[in-house]
Amino acid sequence: MTDRSPPTESELVELVRSSDVRAPESLHRKINAMIASRASRSAPARGQRSATDARGYSLRPRLAAVGAIAAALIALAVAVSLSGGPSTLSVRDAAALTTRAATHTAPNESSSNHAELAVAVEGVSFPYWGRHFGWRSTGMRTDNVDGRSVTTTFYSSGHRRVGYAIVAGNAPSQGSGGVVSSHDGTEYRLLTYNGAPVVTWLREGHLCVVSGRGVDGATLLRLASWDERRPTNS
Amino acid sequence: MRVLDPQSLSQHVDRLYRAAWGLCGSREDAEDLVQETFAKVLSRRRVLHGDDDLFYLMRVLRNTFLTNRRTASRRPQTVATLEDVVTADPKPVSRPEQAIEMQEIYATIAELPEDFRMALVAIDVLGLSYREAARALRVREATITTRLFRARKQVAARLADEPEPAPRDRDAERGDAAQARRERLRPGGVLPSRDTP
Repeated sequence: MTDRSPPTESELVELVRSSDVRAPESLHRKINAMIASRASRSAPARGQRSATDARGYSLRPRLAAVGAIAAALIALAVAVSLSGGPSTLSVRDAAALTTRAATHTAPNESSSNHAELAVAVEGVSFPYWGRHFGWRSTGMRTDNVDGRSVTTTFYSSGHRRVGYAIVAGNAPSQGSGGVVSSHDGTEYRLLTYNGAPVVTWLREGHLCVVSGRGVDGATLLRLASWDERRPTNS
Repeated sequence: MRVLDPQSLSQHVDRLYRAAWGLCGSREDAEDLVQETFAKVLSRRRVLHGDDDLFYLMRVLRNTFLTNRRTASRRPQTVATLEDVVTADPKPVSRPEQAIEMQEIYATIAELPEDFRMALVAIDVLGLSYREAARALRVREATITTRLFRARKQVAARLADEPEPAPRDRDAERGDAAQARRERLRPGGVLPSRDTP
């Protein structure tokens, strides 16, 4: 909330009370399964519980819980195995690159489009934030990670510094985890890496990663989702 | 006196999840806490003494949270990595800024002193009345009013990066309580709840 005024006390109460944050679907499913399991157990026992039933009341939920935990662990194992591929590595490595030093001089503003820098990765240009946000371009670097070329440009505003990386080639996914937000049909994923916020998303099939020090997630999201054709996104 | 109907509980999952998020400050921990709370509640037949379901769930949530925290404090700390982060919300929200704003608000609530946090979660997040919140947290209603007042002040101040007020003496606390009561009774005041019009 760096670039916006923080909510007043009454706005805060309003925000909290009107929050429609939903629990993840996976949690809904687990709890519905627990409720169904509980309902099916209690139906025959209603009204006449024997000692055996009483023991079952304490034992069966535990078995159900063990089952639920086992299912969750399997799901987690599948998720980890799926996310352990090259795409996840690219996110982490690209995020690490955004905090490294620049090795090239700062690219200039594009002469044909004042919202872009004169540098692009396979047709995907880096934005020029100087005019709109006051973030000036300060340097650039190129790296090779797992056989993919990663170009990173750096921006700064006062003491704050941000790196913007674009990975060459088609990215199969933008990794997993974090908070997913959608803006104009694009999904932005906010994660933390080594204590710093990281935003990842896809632009024309290319993995993009923005991260920085001294910058909060909201600012990163605003920068990442900025499009000069949307004047409201400032 | 009535028996808790398990089927009626599913309607409270989202609200309880938000409350757990406010207590824990992390969506992943909130998910675990809610799951554990429901596992406890559903482990056996529950008889409610005139309380509504949400009130009862809040009590179990609070007790589970406190027990977990005590247990966790005895465990070695681990650091999460990028790969450890589990997808928190597969359903995207329409505005990225809004998602982050809520995230910051819940994280700030979670940093409040425990008593303040509990009061704010019970009333603002869960929507309990002052009376219900007082019973659930086993304190007087006036205490809830004061804690809620100060909790909101602190969250707003922290979000605005303002310095926190210095520790108060007893007179100042009485002043806060009076101001909180006035605010609560003021039409259109910022302290509406189920028991205030």
